[in-house]
Amino acid sequence: MKKRKGLSTVFIVIVLIWLLVPLLVSLIYSLFENWAGIVPKGFTLQAYASVLTDPQFGKALLDTVLICIVPILLTNVIVLLALFVVTAYFPRLEKYVQIICMVPYTVQGVILSVSILSLYVGGKGFFASRVVMLTGAYCIIILPYVYQGIRNSMRSVNMPMLLDAAQMLGCSRIEAFFKVVVPNIMSGIIVSSLLAVGIIFGDYVLIRNLAGSTVTNLQMYLYQVMKADSRKSSATFILIMLVMFLITTVVLVLKAKNDKGKKER
Amino acid sequence: MKKKRSIYLLALLPFLVLTVMYEIIPLIGVVISSFISDENGAVTAANYGTVFSKLLYQKAMQNSLKISTLSSLAGILIAFLGARSYYEKRGKLGQIFMTILNMVSNFAGIPLAFAYMILLGNAGVMVQLGRKMGIDALANFNLYSSNGMTFMYIYFQIPLATLLLIPAFDGIRKEWQEAALLLGAGKGTFWLKVGIPVLMPSILSTFSVLFANALAAYATAYALMMNMLPLLPIQIAGCFVGDVKMQRGLGGALSVVMMLMMVVMIFITNTISRRFQKGEAVK
Amino acid sequence: MAEYIRFEHICKNFGEKKVLKDIDLGIEKGELVTLLGPSGCGKSTLLRILSGLEDATSGKVYLDGKDITNVAPQNRDIGMVFQHYSLFPNMNVRQNVAFGLKKKGIAKDEIREAVDRMIDIVGLSENADQYPSQLSGGQQQRAALARALVTKPKVLLLDEPLSAIDALLRHSLQVEIRRIQKELNITAVFVTHDQEEAMVMSDRINLMHDGKIEQSARPIDLYTNPQSKFAATFIGHYNVLATEKFVSIMTGQRPVGKDLSRSQTIAFRPEIIGISKSAPANVPADVYLLKGKVSMSLPHGNFLRYNISCGQTQIDVDTLFNRDKLYEDGAEVYLQIPAESCILF
Repeated sequence: MKKRKGLSTVFIVIVLIWLLVPLLVSLIYSLFENWAGIVPKGFTLQAYASVLTDPQFGKALLDTVLICIVPILLTNVIVLLALFVVTAYFPRLEKYVQIICMVPYTVQGVILSVSILSLYVGGKGFFASRVVMLTGAYCIIILPYVYQGIRNSMRSVNMPMLLDAAQMLGCSRIEAFFKVVVPNIMSGIIVSSLLAVGIIFGDYVLIRNLAGSTVTNLQMYLYQVMKADSRKSSATFILIMLVMFLITTVVLVLKAKNDKGKKER
Repeated sequence: MKKKRSIYLLALLPFLVLTVMYEIIPLIGVVISSFISDENGAVTAANYGTVFSKLLYQKAMQNSLKISTLSSLAGILIAFLGARSYYEKRGKLGQIFMTILNMVSNFAGIPLAFAYMILLGNAGVMVQLGRKMGIDALANFNLYSSNGMTFMYIYFQIPLATLLLIPAFDGIRKEWQEAALLLGAGKGTFWLKVGIPVLMPSILSTFSVLFANALAAYATAYALMMNMLPLLPIQIAGCFVGDVKMQRGLGGALSVVMMLMMVVMIFITNTISRRFQKGEAVK
Repeated sequence: MAEYIRFEHICKNFGEKKVLKDIDLGIEKGELVTLLGPSGCGKSTLLRILSGLEDATSGKVYLDGKDITNVAPQNRDIGMVFQHYSLFPNMNVRQNVAFGLKKKGIAKDEIREAVDRMIDIVGLSENADQYPSQLSGGQQQRAALARALVTKPKVLLLDEPLSAIDALLRHSLQVEIRRIQKELNITAVFVTHDQEEAMVMSDRINLMHDGKIEQSARPIDLYTNPQSKFAATFIGHYNVLATEKFVSIMTGQRPVGKDLSRSQTIAFRPEIIGISKSAPANVPADVYLLKGKVSMSLPHGNFLRYNISCGQTQIDVDTLFNRDKLYEDGAEVYLQIPAESCILF
């Protein structure tokens, strides 16, 4: 038994090293002028300064933030409405909603992006707009995560019971849903929304294929500087990873809080 | 009350509009266009003929299948051992492990390609280190090959697979292990006869997720290779985006082939998994 | 007294399954009435039809002289306590209790006053600012009760509110609910599968079985005079035997008074049986005498239950616990059963 535990420790440590080395190497690379030998030389923050003062970086960061707001809000509202109606009134339809929501999980980015592109690109007006296409595609690509997040939290609060109780206290069913159920699943909605933020932040294929050059996110920015300046791009890389880690940390903290609350109940 | 029910269907409308416009019609469109000639707009199966006869696309399919399968196999193996270690160990190290897994689960695409270029590219830190210290395996590592790609893909498969497998291990009751121990079975026998068969459905479904994930991965490969190594997703995107005229038919056929690969993989894993669930394969 | 609630020809089908079969039932004002029965008998469905949360397939429901069959639940003026976890988890006790009053648009001070009073009645004054997750199961149900009562509904419905609460606390809550119901003089319908709970709490018990009302009676009448084999098995702990079998294990003379040949089943409670080691000298003419062997004795605290085997038949006998009068396993005993306490179906 003891020996096994030791083996487990060794294995976990090896996997951790595997996962962390690329990050550490990039971090060191971004902080030193010269890393030709074994020991890096010439500590400097020059690379970070040049990224943070680059107006292109600012624009990319802003675009990245802006482009994820609408799809996330839209998808959450749409899925909330759909799941409310389906669970409260038409339980037989739940299966179909689930299938539709899980399809993007298997289709994934490349095919989704080219199929939307080929459908709308020739046309004119609102739906042919690159930003609209991209927004629609983002809604679909985050759909599985939003759907699962909302459905799981609806189950964990025992939604039918809460609806019944609120209705007996004078609410109509839809009122009961927004007044009682939604506030109670808010933390679940926030967690799945943050996961969605992570997905959109990490997207390259949809934005490249659909938006072309109209919208540039951080990934595209990294791709551009990568071809020109490897130190500057390693600093960009570290900044992107920092943002990602921040999002994941918030998700983990919120999740832990949720789970704790459930156990107490 | 009863009559008003259908009014609530209206609340389902936004969902239907969104998914019909951006999921269902586009996907059906791609399938239809795969049967339409890019030259004259006639209904044809020629696009599929091109896909299977042209060397470039044959190579793309081969490479994609090879990289996806190998990286998924390696990923699932490491993830199984990792999840089992977590299951045995837990504690402080386990917590750190979980946190890091979650942290790097979004680490893919362009940033991953970049990090690996720094690490193992032609002038990469590790490669130089290998040269200095005379480690040939590092010095001669070629990231820009299908083996190099597979190695890089394994990186993003590990956190995904481990996070998917860890909950499955919760289904292995400590009591089973104790019961097996009392019946005289060692730990190895327990895992061989009970643990792995019970976990098999989860392992298989995780495998099909990994396969789909690797098959559709675009950014990682694109950033590293551009078009040097033919891969399905890159060829598909190339048919629609780029300097040349949009080739809906050919791109559609390639998309359908890629979707079929995923469907076939899901079908295979489901079939095997069903046998395990019935217990037929456990004997 | 006039009927306050009336169910008229209520039927309910879930797909092919008939859950309620033509229920007719009246409930009087100020009563606490129980719907008692095993799971799947339709008791909860009947309650939910009264609440409006479920629609009847056919039939009508009247409350206070008005037809409420098609009135939405939120407009019926009915309060309800559910099995468990029905408190809104994001609100504390005070906010939960105030929810219904706020919905009615009542002035703030008035709400505060009513809420505090009701929280006091259910004995939660010290927990008023706590959230559901911080309360015990019993406290949660007290809060749910306060929330249902504070709007002064016409009827209070209780859907197995104590089923998730452990035995000791359950008894005190039963008494408490009964006290509050009497204090506020509110009409209440209580659903339970626990016959003891129904006995303790109700003015009247409606025993349900397979979508029908099997018997409607005061608790004591239901206990002493069940009118069907099902009622006899479900209420109390009746020994229910085929008459033929009962006759075959009888010893001694056949008592006068009851004609066993015309009925199929005989039922008698375990506590009316006399038990003795030796054959009684002179058996009264209206007592059945059986001979058997003790196969097991089960102490139940204040009484002791013997399983007696008479040939192939098992009979349960309850005796008050008496240290000097214990029968060992395997001992031969004589049982005396007064004919007038036997019920024939």
